[in-house]
Amino acid sequence: MNHLKKTNHQASRESFRDSILSPKRPSAILALVLMLFMLTVIVGGCTQSGDEARQQIIVESLDEAAGQAEAGTQGQAGGGKAAGMADRAADNNDSSEAVREPATTIELTDMMGREIKLDAPAERIVVLAASDCEILYAIGAGETLVGRGEYCDYPEEIFNVPSVQSGSETNIEQIIALQPQVVVMSIMSQTKEQVAALESAGIKVVAMNAQDIESVYTAIELLGKVVGRSAEASILINDMKTAFTDISTKAVNASASASETETIYFEVSPLEYGIWTAGSDTFMNELAAMLGMKNAFEDIQGWGEISQEQVIERDPDHIVTIAMYFGEGKTPVEEIMGREGWQGIKAIKNKMVLNVDSNEISRPGPRLTKALSAIYEFIYEEN
Amino acid sequence: MKEKSEGFKPFYYLLFTAITLAVMVLSICAGSVNIPLKDTLTAVVNAILNLPIEEGAQSIIAFVRLPRVLCVALVGAALSLCGGAMQGLLRNPLADGSTLGVSSGASLGAVIAIAFGLYIPRLEALGTMGMAMLFAFLSLVIILSITYRLDYSLSTNTIILIGVIFNMFANSIISLVVAFAGERIKSIMFWTMGSLSGSSYSNALTLLIALLVFGAAILCCSRELNAFAIGEDNARHIGVNVKRIKMIVLISVSALIGVCVSIGGTIGFVGLVIPHMTRMVTGPNHKRLLPASIFTGAAFLMLADLIGRVLLKPLELPIGVVTSFIGSIAFIYIFYSSRKAR
Repeated sequence: MNHLKKTNHQASRESFRDSILSPKRPSAILALVLMLFMLTVIVGGCTQSGDEARQQIIVESLDEAAGQAEAGTQGQAGGGKAAGMADRAADNNDSSEAVREPATTIELTDMMGREIKLDAPAERIVVLAASDCEILYAIGAGETLVGRGEYCDYPEEIFNVPSVQSGSETNIEQIIALQPQVVVMSIMSQTKEQVAALESAGIKVVAMNAQDIESVYTAIELLGKVVGRSAEASILINDMKTAFTDISTKAVNASASASETETIYFEVSPLEYGIWTAGSDTFMNELAAMLGMKNAFEDIQGWGEISQEQVIERDPDHIVTIAMYFGEGKTPVEEIMGREGWQGIKAIKNKMVLNVDSNEISRPGPRLTKALSAIYEFIYEEN
Repeated sequence: MKEKSEGFKPFYYLLFTAITLAVMVLSICAGSVNIPLKDTLTAVVNAILNLPIEEGAQSIIAFVRLPRVLCVALVGAALSLCGGAMQGLLRNPLADGSTLGVSSGASLGAVIAIAFGLYIPRLEALGTMGMAMLFAFLSLVIILSITYRLDYSLSTNTIILIGVIFNMFANSIISLVVAFAGERIKSIMFWTMGSLSGSSYSNALTLLIALLVFGAAILCCSRELNAFAIGEDNARHIGVNVKRIKMIVLISVSALIGVCVSIGGTIGFVGLVIPHMTRMVTGPNHKRLLPASIFTGAAFLMLADLIGRVLLKPLELPIGVVTSFIGSIAFIYIFYSSRKAR
């Protein structure tokens, strides 16, 4: 090579440029790789410290909130974080601190049958499933949340909480960095390995598995225990039960006059992408029963793709779609009403097609009552 | 040597048409709902004559099953024709929309259109379709130009390698778009699974027009494709306008794949396997192979769709699952038996 004859200094400088382009000098490449490695470490370190700084801020703001609560100025300032039904809980009690049960060991069995011991009600929680986040806010424990799964989007305040990746891409590092005492995850979307990894980092894991409405109550009860708000949890459960029974009684009375049980067809995915419906073992199936109706696709287990032919043949009395509308083109209801070949279906003839918020109806959380009352009002009250 | 007509004889046309029609009748009669033959017949006749159609069973046939079978047949025909033409043009037995990454490119275009809500008022489907066609063509151009720079002879290995890599590239971008799409993620996830279940007559008409225009363009090149099969230089030496033919075939193929993907999602294996199976009957002459592929492709996809509709009823099996399953087994069988015979 030419430049080997030049002075050492020059040569190394020029050959460095060469070495990037040609793999002739392994040592130079090694140096490059090392440099890159160092760079990543430095950059990584920076973001790490950035994270720490942010965390510090979060911790401080949390402390501040707690301080405010202790000073008796809680009322609206701290309570603003808790939403919806939490307001009711706050009404019953003057201060959220008073609600906390005395700090004794809490023993609970999670929905995987694992026994968990907590020294005190958890004050720093990471929740990965959207439904569990909703429950936490509904029992007025939203301020214990230090991290949320990326799909947790209700109530609005939750967006102030840092999000972590959930599901199969759950980022264990992110979670550990948030220093939670407890991580609440749904075993539907998480793996045992993830549970083990978190537990070896000294974090308690509470596994949730709500497949029907009865187990939603169990989940609420569990979360109530975790944050030491069992009283609010039972209020929430009772509220839900009352709401369900109220609507159900009204619906069953109203439908009693019908000569035969009316059917309801749930559309999970619109026709454009192949229609999917919810069969037995889904919340939608349970809701149909509460309304005194029969799910048109009871014979299907869970969710499944079906053909239009089946829907036309089964001729449902009501259609509930959970398609999302993005504000352009036809609305989901208009699209269903206009489908070719569907015009003979009873639901289309009687204009009994309703679009329900998919998050309300498919999440095992407190908003299931909203979904039920939306369907009830549409079927029995608007017409 | 005895002079043989190299064209497609009327007898063969009749035979292939008869087989395709038989499969079509079977597909229309059978389905996830059992409908009496009389109703089926009335519905089909009324649908063709534009007469009013009774509700219930007849409307299932006329508005759901018939348009779906038509769309499936047309998609099958188009994909199979594209596969046959690409295999001839690139002298590559593994060339096909899905192996070359053209289908993924088309998917990417459609996913972008869905994710960012690109659509033309009153013609909602056109945004997706236009993007799918554009991206199918762009991916074909990218893949082929990279391959050309690496290997002028467009050898099998190079082109498949680039195709597979492009496939992964397109899929990674799809994942990226999905990550940014937020709420729309659900629509996209269902879309990428591919479905012809919501086919309408207007879809069938779009497919038919595309097949008539671009299919005819490809068929007109079958003589030149025969020359390509021996070698590109060879074709040039005997006076084929290599550049022009290439452009015609590539544009037609990407347009057809774009339309098919935007209507039915990615359906693998049809374009790869069917031309090979057809070639065993007709021989390698493109004048016979390409028209025959249209019929066999249509028949194959209709059968696959029928299996998907009936096997797990009332559930549906995605058509891509059925084609890949049957196609890969059939492919291995053909490959094995033809090697053994040699």
